[in-house]
Amino acid sequence: MIETQKLKKTYKQGSLKVKAVDNVNLKISDGEFTAVVGPSGSGKTTLLNCVGGLDIPTSGKVIIDDEVISSYSSDKMIKFRLNNIGFVFQAYNLIPVLTAKENIEMVMLMQGYNKQEMDERSIDLLNEVGMENMSKRRPAELSGGQQQRVAVARALASKPKFILADEPTANLDSKSTAKLLDIMSRLNKQENITFLFSTHDQRVIDRARRVVTLEDGKIIKDIKK
Amino acid sequence: MNLITLIKIGWRNIWRNKKRSLVVILSIVLGLYGGLIIASLMITLNTQRMDTAINTYLADIQIHDKEYSKEYSLSDTISNIQYLEEKLKTDPRIKSYSKRAVINGMLSNSTGSYGVNVLGIDPESEIKVTNVYSKLIEGDYFESKRLNTMIVGEKLANKLNLKLRSKVVIAFQDVNGDITSLLFRVEGIFKSGNGMFDDYNVFVKNNSIFSNMPNLNSYHEIPILTTDENATQSLKFDLQKIDNSLEVKSWDEIAVELAYANKMLSSFLYIFMLIVLSGLSFGIINTMLMAILERKKEIGMLMSIGMTKIYIFLMICFETVFLSLVAIPFSLMITYFTVDYFSVSGIDLSVVGSGLENFGVGTILYLKLPIEYYLNLSLLVILISSISSIFPAIRALKINPVEATKSI
Repeated sequence: MIETQKLKKTYKQGSLKVKAVDNVNLKISDGEFTAVVGPSGSGKTTLLNCVGGLDIPTSGKVIIDDEVISSYSSDKMIKFRLNNIGFVFQAYNLIPVLTAKENIEMVMLMQGYNKQEMDERSIDLLNEVGMENMSKRRPAELSGGQQQRVAVARALASKPKFILADEPTANLDSKSTAKLLDIMSRLNKQENITFLFSTHDQRVIDRARRVVTLEDGKIIKDIKK
Repeated sequence: MNLITLIKIGWRNIWRNKKRSLVVILSIVLGLYGGLIIASLMITLNTQRMDTAINTYLADIQIHDKEYSKEYSLSDTISNIQYLEEKLKTDPRIKSYSKRAVINGMLSNSTGSYGVNVLGIDPESEIKVTNVYSKLIEGDYFESKRLNTMIVGEKLANKLNLKLRSKVVIAFQDVNGDITSLLFRVEGIFKSGNGMFDDYNVFVKNNSIFSNMPNLNSYHEIPILTTDENATQSLKFDLQKIDNSLEVKSWDEIAVELAYANKMLSSFLYIFMLIVLSGLSFGIINTMLMAILERKKEIGMLMSIGMTKIYIFLMICFETVFLSLVAIPFSLMITYFTVDYFSVSGIDLSVVGSGLENFGVGTILYLKLPIEYYLNLSLLVILISSISSIFPAIRALKINPVEATKSI
């Protein structure tokens, strides 16, 4: 379970202090499919960054499975992220010099999988996201939707409990978006992986089973469907 | 994560911006090539200078009487020379030897006078030790039946306007301290490639000296050529044991300045290369910083998904080192072919010939470069690029994944 307690994140912009996340208390149970929505600058991304351990909260706690990860050292946090959290980025952020399969294997390499395990799992994951025929293609040879599907497969490679996705469909057309959401929804149901999105996309909001609305860094609405 | 994957990523990364990587690679190729060629030129200059000295007059080892080097007195001749010669003839390490009577005197003709070192030699045995006979530009090498003939250097000949068959008088103090004059006729003019040697030394037959100086009973100098230069030190040691009244010196003890230059050269070359490559390292650092700036987002992503700092650091280091690893073989190859070509055809530097001759080198340089320089300078390039990689790698570690990816 992901939990934030009185989570605050303040940025300095010149002499001004901007409260990106302001006293957020949020509990996300295992297996949820949650969308964090809100206007630009409402703190969606900062909330996800703090939950994912990429950003250090100004105050408050981030607790994942009873561990206060917000107090972890940098190295411990990197290991925690590697083994527990999968990330899906808006701009895919695949490594351009590696093939789709190698991009997926990269995470497993960091975890110390052997070659055979990596090989089998990367092929399984490519099958899972419908990219089995494009395993040898490099990102430049894939469409945006295909790249994002590889990015999802990469996020799954470490067998994470949680996947944090920031605007995963922002750069995709409707067909690719639908396909991606189908994949993520299926993984959520079959593998019980917790998904937490930040999004503006109504198509994502429609598919989410819980929608948390942020405004000025505060939760103003939390609807479970 | 294993190193092979990091190496693979690093290798592919350098080809992401081919043009930029090739510019850096080319600069390393040219820098290393330039450095190696300059090293080769310096080594060739020094080696040819040493070879000229050894082949013209020094030989590998020289034997004198112990007192000789103090005042270069005519009376300080080598004693027990027959016994010594027996030993020299039987030692397998000795290729050849000669015997010289050496006189310092004043050479005069109608044009003027000049201080010279007269080397009284046996032409037949001297041919086996030194190569002045092959450096004749005019006349013959003691083929005349006349006793009092002389071979002079071109530089001295020009100064005193000496031609073939010119008469000269050499005046010197004999063994008794009396001034003696001997008349010689120029039979040959040589040009050894060492202007200073040509200016100061003349060769005469030792019989012409002994016949005119009955009190001179032996030789002053025995130059020896060894079969193997590695045997020089052991031979010197063994010859010294024969007779304590002898002074046995290897060429580097006689021509100390040559030996010193030889020893200094290596250090100088490495310092020189270090300076050249340090300049290059700024280019490498700049390129890598650009590459990191371009890939800020990607590095941020790698940090986000769990790549540890040490792997990020190593990845950048590998990329930097790969740039030089690609460049080095090309540098070595073109250097090898250049040196190989000019080792046979030579580089004609007759434009600056007089300067080179004063330095003791001929006008044609036959390039050479010992294999250790290829190896050591390549290692130096790898070292410099490894050091150059540290700064960009540290910069990469400072990337904030949140800022780099803009979002998670």
